[in-house]
Amino acid sequence: MTNELIPQIAKVVAVRKETPDVKTFTIRGEKGLPFTYMPGQCAMVSLPSVGEAMFSITSSPTQADMEFSIKRVGLLTEALHKLAPGQAVGVRGPYGNGFPVEMLKGKDLLFIGGGIGLAPLRSLINYCLDNRADYGQVDIIYGARSPQDLVFTDELFERWPKIEGVQVRTTVDVGDETWNGPVGVVTKLLEELNPDPQGRIAITCGPPIMIKFVLLTLAKLGYSDDQIITTLEKRMKCGIGKCGRCNIGGKYICVDGPVFTLAQLRELPDEL
Amino acid sequence: MKAIAKTALPDLFAALKGRVYVPVREGKGYGFALWQGQDWPADYQNTIVPPKQILFPQTEDLYTFRVEGEDITIDPAAPPEEPSFIFGLRPCDYRAIELLDLVFRQGPYLDASYSKRRDNTFLMVLGCKEGLPTCFCTSFGLEPAFAPGADWNMWDLGEILVVEPGTDKGKELLEGLGLFREATEEEKSQVEKLREEAKATITLHAPTEGITELLQENFDHPLWDEVARKCLECGACTYLCPTCHCYDMQSSSVLGQGRRFRCWDSCMYCNYTLMAGGHNPRPSKRERVRNRFLHKLQYYPENQGEFGCVGCGRCLQHCPVHMDISRFMAQAKEVMAK
Repeated sequence: MTNELIPQIAKVVAVRKETPDVKTFTIRGEKGLPFTYMPGQCAMVSLPSVGEAMFSITSSPTQADMEFSIKRVGLLTEALHKLAPGQAVGVRGPYGNGFPVEMLKGKDLLFIGGGIGLAPLRSLINYCLDNRADYGQVDIIYGARSPQDLVFTDELFERWPKIEGVQVRTTVDVGDETWNGPVGVVTKLLEELNPDPQGRIAITCGPPIMIKFVLLTLAKLGYSDDQIITTLEKRMKCGIGKCGRCNIGGKYICVDGPVFTLAQLRELPDEL
Repeated sequence: MKAIAKTALPDLFAALKGRVYVPVREGKGYGFALWQGQDWPADYQNTIVPPKQILFPQTEDLYTFRVEGEDITIDPAAPPEEPSFIFGLRPCDYRAIELLDLVFRQGPYLDASYSKRRDNTFLMVLGCKEGLPTCFCTSFGLEPAFAPGADWNMWDLGEILVVEPGTDKGKELLEGLGLFREATEEEKSQVEKLREEAKATITLHAPTEGITELLQENFDHPLWDEVARKCLECGACTYLCPTCHCYDMQSSSVLGQGRRFRCWDSCMYCNYTLMAGGHNPRPSKRERVRNRFLHKLQYYPENQGEFGCVGCGRCLQHCPVHMDISRFMAQAKEVMAK
């Protein structure tokens, strides 16, 4: 029996600076992709002397390479940010349920992301856009603190808006001289856009305070709890539902999640 | 049923091919340790640290690693191939291992090293003649002097130990050892008597009926504040609990060479759920105490269909401020709304 807690070794093949504190790492195993995965699934990335943590896989399985977009917030992410192409890292996975790509087929999709919260959504966005015929209208609303904190700018401003049936709206909390787009919170854009809930699923990820107000706005716009999907994060060690800490009530976020509908979350104790 | 004179136990231990773990005196109490010729203890009731540590060691290496320039090499650690014999574990601790099996050997992932150890371990249960004042195993449907499903059940009749195998591998082992004789009818009836009498010695009772449903409805009940107030968050309850399975994973290294290991962790600790960004979903001991009790009484039943407590009483006995899950259950029944 192989021990799931032991990572395989992969190489960083590219590092892209997204913002002052977010970098996207492309990693490749000995035989290419370290493992197959679905949008919304996660992986444990490690530097053996420093530590290991769970990250959402930000690439889509329709892409050739695996990517992680990682914000510098602690010890491990600080060390990861120092990596250059060629450096080895540990990786194991995929973990978690991922987004319900089958259930979403034929639906219009409304993505609402904030800050680094766009990282897990990007996997699903690109998956849906690479399987364009399976999904309806795609609306993307994204907000960050400032123009320099916007991640995936090539896709936000170049690639995605050019695809038929895709609309991208981006806002920042505070603008600067380079910014001539909307200023304000994502819920403001959401109310302006007012996407019809009929046949549409909203998928949101971002800081807890953003999620809180997005949920209130979606409810106001007529979205039911099972039309709203989000993806959670918790401190994790094993990733396989044994080590304990990532539970909300009886659910382990690493195996039962990280993706839940709002209806499912309402069944759980309030311990987000 | 077979019988062996207790004076012949050293011959039995010597005949068992593998690591033999027996209870040994350790300070004021007992603990399981490798048999190295010592005498069988006369008076132990239960060990302080449960025998889960033999299947799920307090610290266990996962792999060693070496970082050299850009490269990392990893060398996985392997659990021992040699069989182990846990001789004299109590029925509550046997049941606790069955509950650990539900976590480590079920679900989408198996725990590789636990499973390997478990497959190679014989569980030889010794029935309790008398419970401690903190024992409440009967509340969870256990019998103090019998563990259904164990490889061996054993009973101490003074000079004689009577053994009944409960599994095929237990039977095979017993038959392969020439040290036993058939138990007499007299001994068999003494075993029956011992089993009956042991039940009456368990005097602490915790109300289990409907407790899961009650707790599901009372996540925010003020009783949680009251119960948590005196907790010191020392974590003794979780380390001594035979069913607690939470672990941490850490590395230790010098100049790029080191090992990655896992070790027992405790949901009572403040940084257990603390995230790198600073958010903590269980920020105070109210949430942490609640998580421990609910894990045993609500989440385990929801996920595994069984209570996660076996009533061994260690957390009552060793808590420095007398936190008491059995008392909590009684209080909950009294004050929580249905």
